[in-house]
Amino acid sequence: MDNLTNLPNADGFFGEYGGKFVPETLMHALKELDGTYSKLKNKPEFIEEIDQDLVRFVGRPSPLYFAKRLTDHYSGPQIWLKREDLNHTGAHKINNTVGQILLAKAMGKKRIIAETGAGQHGVATATVAARLGLECHIYMGAADVERQSLNVYRIKLLGAEVHAVDSGTATLKDALNEAMRDWVTNIEDTYYIIGSVTGPHPYPMIVRDFNAIVGRELRIQSVEQFSQYPDAIVACVGGGSNAMGIFYPFLEESKVELIGVEAAGSGLMSGKHAAPLNDGEPGILHGAKSYLMQDKNGQVLDTHSISAGLDYPGVGPEHSNLKDSGRANYIAVDDEEVLSSFHLVTKLEGIMPALETAHAFAALEHIAKNYKSDQHIVINVSGRGDKDINTVATMDGISLD
Amino acid sequence: MEYLLTRLDEKIVSLKNESKKALVAYLVAGDPNINSTLELMHGFVNSGVDILEVGVPFTDPIAEGPIIQAAHDRALKNNTSLNDIFLLVKEFRKKNTETPIILMGYMNTFLANSQAIKKAHLSGTDAVLIVDVPGESNLEDLGIINKNLASISLIAPTTSEDRITKICDRSSGFIYYVTLRGVTGSSHLDISEAEQSINFIKSKTSLPVFAGFGIKSPDDALNLSKISDGIVIGSSIVQMIHEQSNQKEFKKIYNYLNEMAAAITR
Repeated sequence: MDNLTNLPNADGFFGEYGGKFVPETLMHALKELDGTYSKLKNKPEFIEEIDQDLVRFVGRPSPLYFAKRLTDHYSGPQIWLKREDLNHTGAHKINNTVGQILLAKAMGKKRIIAETGAGQHGVATATVAARLGLECHIYMGAADVERQSLNVYRIKLLGAEVHAVDSGTATLKDALNEAMRDWVTNIEDTYYIIGSVTGPHPYPMIVRDFNAIVGRELRIQSVEQFSQYPDAIVACVGGGSNAMGIFYPFLEESKVELIGVEAAGSGLMSGKHAAPLNDGEPGILHGAKSYLMQDKNGQVLDTHSISAGLDYPGVGPEHSNLKDSGRANYIAVDDEEVLSSFHLVTKLEGIMPALETAHAFAALEHIAKNYKSDQHIVINVSGRGDKDINTVATMDGISLD
Repeated sequence: MEYLLTRLDEKIVSLKNESKKALVAYLVAGDPNINSTLELMHGFVNSGVDILEVGVPFTDPIAEGPIIQAAHDRALKNNTSLNDIFLLVKEFRKKNTETPIILMGYMNTFLANSQAIKKAHLSGTDAVLIVDVPGESNLEDLGIINKNLASISLIAPTTSEDRITKICDRSSGFIYYVTLRGVTGSSHLDISEAEQSINFIKSKTSLPVFAGFGIKSPDDALNLSKISDGIVIGSSIVQMIHEQSNQKEFKKIYNYLNEMAAAITR
């Protein structure tokens, strides 16, 4: 197998995926960002500053926790949880924003923009912008503003402005379109903090690198706590940043199975889902070539998922390459499975996962039987579920008013 | 390019010989419907338009402002596909074999249609402008190079000098200079900055340089035509097409284009 760790190449490609497919106005800004990041990423002072923030502001390292009752429930492998839900602001998203805001600062940008689906990236961006006193604008699909109202209010409390996007499907992809248009217009003073391993080069690389702290910690913790690397690592995949962060430090450990879980929505057969790696074709959206949900004319399809954070027709280009190379496997679970998994984990472990994260848990129903009791599976608990209680209550037919 | 003059090159040579500036007009194919698009294309030419730029609708047109975005959405509601657009061009060519046609769109719709570029040429299209493929990219890898079809690239105020050189080397037909930082239809025209950039571009290429994005009034047209070889009008026309689409009466648009054509020959 080719070395997967040294990707992307200088042009931003992971195999045939990735690249920079953007309007001309953005090309200079991408080059500037690439230059700044290459210069800073190995500088001891920069690394030290991020490490300090991760420890004292984010609360890292996040624990690796043995899920005893979940393990008993499946009576298969030992199930361990990487607790990104315990990070400040409640998800892995803060790992990336803490790093990118320092790039913005180094580049002298005064204005921060970001897109958000579930609102976790919006909160994480508004949080770091508040901390540095920078103007912040968050683009969010109007449908997501509705279903993630708690996070919308958090973002506003943090001093950022939320722009509801009505165009297209009014979800994450449209928020990304609008954020890109803002960036094209305000290119001189604005830094765009992309929230996933998507978009044009160098974003998929930068967002992966800042999230790779999760996988690096897991390498140490797994050896300390169960004397080996995990037999399998499971993570949900929308754009794919939490998955890339925990997968990346294990790419060369060929015995560690990597399993990504996409949103099958109402079912893969229904067409109403958000699982491009399972049921899409390579295409170009938002600056990169990757698997994409599209029709025969190359128009991007509407997606559906119970979780706003996974409701996206594309996926990070590195995942597309990992799929084609066979290094990672990608499965999909539907909304119903996710909801019952949400309840199961909450009741058995006292941990209420985000609906995005519940996809990774739901995968256990399919894969746990393949492992023996002396094997170890790690679930990346990418975020906590407080933001989703309205959605869950509605699904369960309960009124919270 | 010398050995294969396209309709576009011929038009550019004849404009140059007459010392005329080019008027390029944009519309979105299928907005309000494909028959109106055909009628509008002929109407544009009769109103003094030299080159037609036909927008290929896409679900996620990230370089477009709200006006053109909405037109893409309307065209997609009519299920306008690239194949429909090839038929449109073919139909147009039955009555007009001279006016160059450029297809402007996004890479994914071209990727999805096998042999899109060959079909484009066969239909009577003269050039393609793919907004999300930067000008120095290796277009051959993406299947875009066709010796019968010019490949138009954008240069923006933010494009660095070394990239301008590379883009000029890779381009044919003309260079499309984006006059502002922003999406289509924005309003931050900076004539002196545009002039400087266009002069630099012209020092690197013999191709003509057309200016577009944000041109609304005859004054804008006049000012930009003084410093370039031609202008491109988009959003203001698309807005008018939408306003007139119920009664399908496009006289107002033709008057506007006549005014713009007159402005740039002043």
